[in-house]
Amino acid sequence: MADSTTTETLDRLIHERIRLGIVSALAAEERMSFADLKQVLRTSDGNLSVHARKLEEAGYIKVSKGFEDRKPKTEYRLTTKGRRALETYLAQMEAILSEARDALERT
Amino acid sequence: MSIPTHEDQRDAKETLAFIRRTMESASTYTAVSGWGLVAVGTVGLVAAWLAWSGNLGADLRIWIPAALLSVPIATAFNVTKARRLEVPIWTGAIRKVVWVMAPTLVAGGLLTIALAEQGTTGLLPGTWLALYGAGVTAGGTISVRAIRGMGVLFLILGAVALLRPEWGLPLLALGFGGLHVAIGLDIVLRHGG
Repeated sequence: MADSTTTETLDRLIHERIRLGIVSALAAEERMSFADLKQVLRTSDGNLSVHARKLEEAGYIKVSKGFEDRKPKTEYRLTTKGRRALETYLAQMEAILSEARDALERT
Repeated sequence: MSIPTHEDQRDAKETLAFIRRTMESASTYTAVSGWGLVAVGTVGLVAAWLAWSGNLGADLRIWIPAALLSVPIATAFNVTKARRLEVPIWTGAIRKVVWVMAPTLVAGGLLTIALAEQGTTGLLPGTWLALYGAGVTAGGTISVRAIRGMGVLFLILGAVALLRPEWGLPLLALGFGGLHVAIGLDIVLRHGG
């Protein structure tokens, strides 16, 4: 990543690709199971677990564990804090593009 | 604020595209196969031709096997497309599509039995077209726009067929044959296969 003020201020927690994928998927779907998230993100069980735990610890997602047809089922939901973090991140990405467009127009 | 570099710009574009792809993949069913719809439409046209040549109209011996045959054909084409696009096949989105469409299709099945028992088979084409249209329109809210449009057109054909039962067979051919083929080709051209 290049050295600029805009990219330096990015939320590193959701800048990582799998974590960004988890937050984005949960922004579109209110709740998703571990299996569904794994399919959408095409990642391994271990990878998804590690990144989901980091987001949970930061309060960006909420995890609920239960049973369905006697099988354990883990479900994820995006918290208000997580949604705000994604909105801020999106605004920053758009700002980078807008800055670049302005710079292009000035030349 | 310093001016973002080309690399920043490229990263931002790529990241926004990734977010969009992920959100679509999580919430919508995009792996609808256009060729699958063309194949299902061909089954519809063959069924309509058989019904017309045998002067059978909405005969269940033709249309029920045609409907049953269409399910594995559409499934096979959709699975193939999903694999080619490397998108998940059985996700929450497809489960939602199935749940949203199932009630109207079940209602269609029950009405078919009831109307056939009453001997009012003239109303079957309109019932099938309207209820299939209702199901597809509802399912289309979780899929690509063309599917929703197809559902609305089926509903319109169903309404016409219910008001003009004597046009039943041509409308069945137009809907289950022509519409499937036309929308299928549109998806092939716009959404790649």
